[in-house]
Amino acid sequence: MYDVIIIGGGPAGAAAGVYSARKKLKTLIIADSFGGQSLVSDSIENWIGVKKMTGLELAKMLEEHVRAQENVEIKMPEKVVSVKSAQGGPASGWEITTDKNATYMTKALIVASGGRRRHLNILGEDKFEGKGVSYCSTCDAPVFKNKTVAVIGGGDAGLEAVVDLMPYASKIYLISNKELLTGDFSTQEEIKKSDKISVIMNADTQEILGDPPPLGRTSTKGGGFVKGLKYLDKTDNQIKELAVEGIFVEIGSVPNSEFIKDLVDTNQAGEIIVDHKTGATTHPGIFAAGDVTDEIYKQSNISAGDAIVAALSAYNYLLNIKKQ
Amino acid sequence: MANKVVIYTTPECAYCKITKEFFRKNIISYEEKDVSVNDKAREEMVEKSGQLGVPVVDIDDKIIVGFDKEMLSKLLNVK
Repeated sequence: MYDVIIIGGGPAGAAAGVYSARKKLKTLIIADSFGGQSLVSDSIENWIGVKKMTGLELAKMLEEHVRAQENVEIKMPEKVVSVKSAQGGPASGWEITTDKNATYMTKALIVASGGRRRHLNILGEDKFEGKGVSYCSTCDAPVFKNKTVAVIGGGDAGLEAVVDLMPYASKIYLISNKELLTGDFSTQEEIKKSDKISVIMNADTQEILGDPPPLGRTSTKGGGFVKGLKYLDKTDNQIKELAVEGIFVEIGSVPNSEFIKDLVDTNQAGEIIVDHKTGATTHPGIFAAGDVTDEIYKQSNISAGDAIVAALSAYNYLLNIKKQ
Repeated sequence: MANKVVIYTTPECAYCKITKEFFRKNIISYEEKDVSVNDKAREEMVEKSGQLGVPVVDIDDKIIVGFDKEMLSKLLNVK
């Protein structure tokens, strides 16, 4: 039985781990990896105390800091699939099951499972992931050298993807379902100067088109690449097609809260509702922090701070149930 | 006999760096092909892996897409 189990290894999970350990709580961190969503970032310039670093450097700093503590065990890579109330009274804790078919018991729980990239959820998207559909422009942009590509999403992430692709792609369509681009204005100005770029507004992307995999090859290997996309042009209500070989989806993120939804209240976006003074969820003994919660600002520094609040609250919760 | 290991990368790809670090930590020698500057390597990577994402690792003609620690460890006999 652990005192506290922390789900997640991003800034929130690591911060909760360090603080729990320093309170001498028997702590377990279950995570996919350290670093969270920032892991793939090529440049982080707002982590307080460090002028500039990569996501990988942040991940290492977090991991080293956690591993320097006594009392902390780490299960990684491992994914939580379900959380159940343990048999017994209201304060008997939780039973956590993972994708490795392992079960762990804990008296308190801190959910710091963060977010993941939002998908379009349209026909062809899953089928052509890796076959032209990409969620990492920083990684994959050079592979699309001399190809025509589309970026879906007119916010900051969409504009950044266009900037990543500009040195490589021969033609870039920036597609937004809104009437205006919402991303950083100076980046908008920069990309509008390039004659490689066409902006298509008021467009709902509806289907990703491509070749079927060639005979004799399975769908996971070989062939079947993206050839285009279909969108609804909301200005004239016509379905239109674009011929593209790459599609970069940059439409925000969704919280990783599915495994805990039956136990705690979430809002419409799926974010765990927390008391921002304490990090407490609607279920006593379960705390949450970072991008999985209804915190407005999804920022690494804030996630770390929120997780410290949650860890200290978990500590106080454990002191209180001991007294009872 | 040592494995022949080739990794296809781009300069800013985090999982490429994580994979190379895994090689260095386990003293695996490898050849790196940067597909952002090497057009031939880019075509080769797409042909071998049937997809357009990095990193791609080729270990004695067995292809791994992404950083798959379990598969890398298995193919390279790393504990």
